[in-house]
Amino acid sequence: MAINHLELVSALVDGQLTGSELEQALELIANDNTAREAFMRYQQASDILHGYTRSINLSPLDLTSRISAALNDEPAYSMAIENKSTAKVIRFPQNFWKQATGLAMAASIGALAVVGVVQQQSATNNIPVASVIANEAPATMVSQTSNRWTVAEPEIEDRLNTYLVDHNEYVGASGMFSYGRVVSYGTER
Amino acid sequence: MNVDQELVQRVQAGDKKAFDLLIMKYQQRIIHVITGFVHDPVEAMDVAQEAFIKAYRALPNFRGDSAFYTWLYRIAINTSKNHLTASSRRPPMSDVDAMDATNYYDAPELKEFETPENSLMCVQLEEAIQQAIEDLPEETATAIKLREFEGMSYEEIAEAMDCPIGTVRSRIFRAREAIDKQVKSVMGEEE
Repeated sequence: MAINHLELVSALVDGQLTGSELEQALELIANDNTAREAFMRYQQASDILHGYTRSINLSPLDLTSRISAALNDEPAYSMAIENKSTAKVIRFPQNFWKQATGLAMAASIGALAVVGVVQQQSATNNIPVASVIANEAPATMVSQTSNRWTVAEPEIEDRLNTYLVDHNEYVGASGMFSYGRVVSYGTER
Repeated sequence: MNVDQELVQRVQAGDKKAFDLLIMKYQQRIIHVITGFVHDPVEAMDVAQEAFIKAYRALPNFRGDSAFYTWLYRIAINTSKNHLTASSRRPPMSDVDAMDATNYYDAPELKEFETPENSLMCVQLEEAIQQAIEDLPEETATAIKLREFEGMSYEEIAEAMDCPIGTVRSRIFRAREAIDKQVKSVMGEEE
């Protein structure tokens, strides 16, 4: 083998080749056994200088044949890359997620506004309903000192409790309190 | 682009032979790292093979955020640990940080696994190489020392020695040939 070829291999060991020289050296290693052996010897000498061979036997080492045999059935990656590129036919626009997040936030704010309006309306609507009930069953319906209904007639009690349970979700901040009263009533009964 | 990047890109583009070169370049270092975990040399070779195969399979996902060897080093460490766990042995509590991977050749935890035969052979080889370097003409010896021990690029050596890059390259090549001759002599492979 020509000396300048071996010189090229030596420079390849050092990783100091670029462009056409690198191409040439890689071709040499791939196709010329002398160049390949020279590469391994130079590399081995460098490894010895750096102490990499201390923990293993020092006979010339070549895992490439073993690994190449094991990788024989593996596909070459150009195919995999092509498959990947064909799989990416439909692509979201680059700022898709940004737009989607913005839309989701806007929708959430809109929904909150609507719910707020509905709750306010329900709260104002509750007042006349409660008044109506109070008018229908005055004084005896609710004890001032208790957290639960004190109704003489069980039928009315049941109706009121059912009413509260059914409608407590429409009561704004006091909804849980109303529901709590119904529950406490039930446990003490 | 450095040689490793070029080789990685070639493998990613379907050139399996480019991967052979990466194996040839790093096999000794990787086995050295693995023997820090797996003490049996034959077993270490198997784990190294497994690590390289894993690296090949993962190569399409390698984006070059770190150096190829650092990435390969991590794979080797993980493969070694998995191997120990699979064989119901406990992996060591500490290992070398990936940042130190490129300088991972003299770790004390590895030295304890050296066999006396290997140690003796290593000492003989190192002495032979040192002698080969000392016997070189001064400029050739300086060039190889700056390359191997200081890790300088050809460009840096050319600047330090005030000579063209081509001269540096041929000096380093001549030094390598002389070293190779000594190594063959010690290992009984003289032509």
